[in-house]
Amino acid sequence: MNRFATIAATACALAAGPVIAQDAAVADHPPKAPYQKVSDLVKLPDFLPGIGQLYVDPATLPAGPFVAYDHDGRLVSTIYMIPISSMNADTGFDDLAAPGGNVDHVDIYYNAGHPGVEEPHEHIVLWHVPAADEASVAK
Amino acid sequence: MRRRTFLRGGSTLAAALAISPRCALAVPVADIAMDGRPDGSRVWFDPRGLLVRPGQTVRWTNRDSANSHTATAYAPENDDHPRRIPRGAAGFDSGYLLPGETFEVTLEVPGVYDYFCIPHELAGMVGRIVVAKPGSGGGFAGYPDQGLDPAILAGFAPVADILRQGAIPGREG
Repeated sequence: MNRFATIAATACALAAGPVIAQDAAVADHPPKAPYQKVSDLVKLPDFLPGIGQLYVDPATLPAGPFVAYDHDGRLVSTIYMIPISSMNADTGFDDLAAPGGNVDHVDIYYNAGHPGVEEPHEHIVLWHVPAADEASVAK
Repeated sequence: MRRRTFLRGGSTLAAALAISPRCALAVPVADIAMDGRPDGSRVWFDPRGLLVRPGQTVRWTNRDSANSHTATAYAPENDDHPRRIPRGAAGFDSGYLLPGETFEVTLEVPGVYDYFCIPHELAGMVGRIVVAKPGSGGGFAGYPDQGLDPAILAGFAPVADILRQGAIPGREG
């Protein structure tokens, strides 16, 4: 490769931003063990409107990460669920896994609770798809 | 065709009512919806306060497409919760209801029945049913705090309001 080609390739890479590796365990649907389908672990709908089909390694509850897929089996988001009671000076969550790869944007919102994470908590959603593609898990 | 079918069904119903006074006098099932915002940020029973007659059946239906809910009586047999149902009444627990699923219970003993949703109790998803004979005037009171979280206590509609209005709507927030 000549010098110009090398510079061009480097510039393209920088313009595109760093590529964060996706954990092979979650690349395909369904994700590999230790991930399990949430609706098999607790009584929740198999497909959650606004979220998708949800998987988690039970050992990581309640924080997660949870990984969510759309109807086509595409990984759309990684979600952390942080109990409100844990948001204080004496509690922290270090080194949470981030298996989903590149993040397009982030949503953070309150959830009143559900089976699996019964107490009120925050959903921190790392979307791996553009905002427009959130529609793929809307229903 | 559809209209004709409807009319035939209607005349059949009228005939059934005419020959079955028991049916005509039947007390209707009282419905309570379990509902919530699509993102799960608020959840509620609607109505959250309800007046029914002794022997009337109450039916809960999960209308929340994104969550599971329970209708669980405040009673020691339900995870050691304080008793907030009349003496002699049995505690009930629907178990988790998925969207569209229902649970029914017939309440015979007059008094005040407080209940909650297991995964959403701490979020204040609670309800209150008053069982009273028509025109009885009530004479019922609520329950002491029993150490419950203020967010829970705030969810119980006042007994006097239920007796006066019959139903207290749930809150969307």
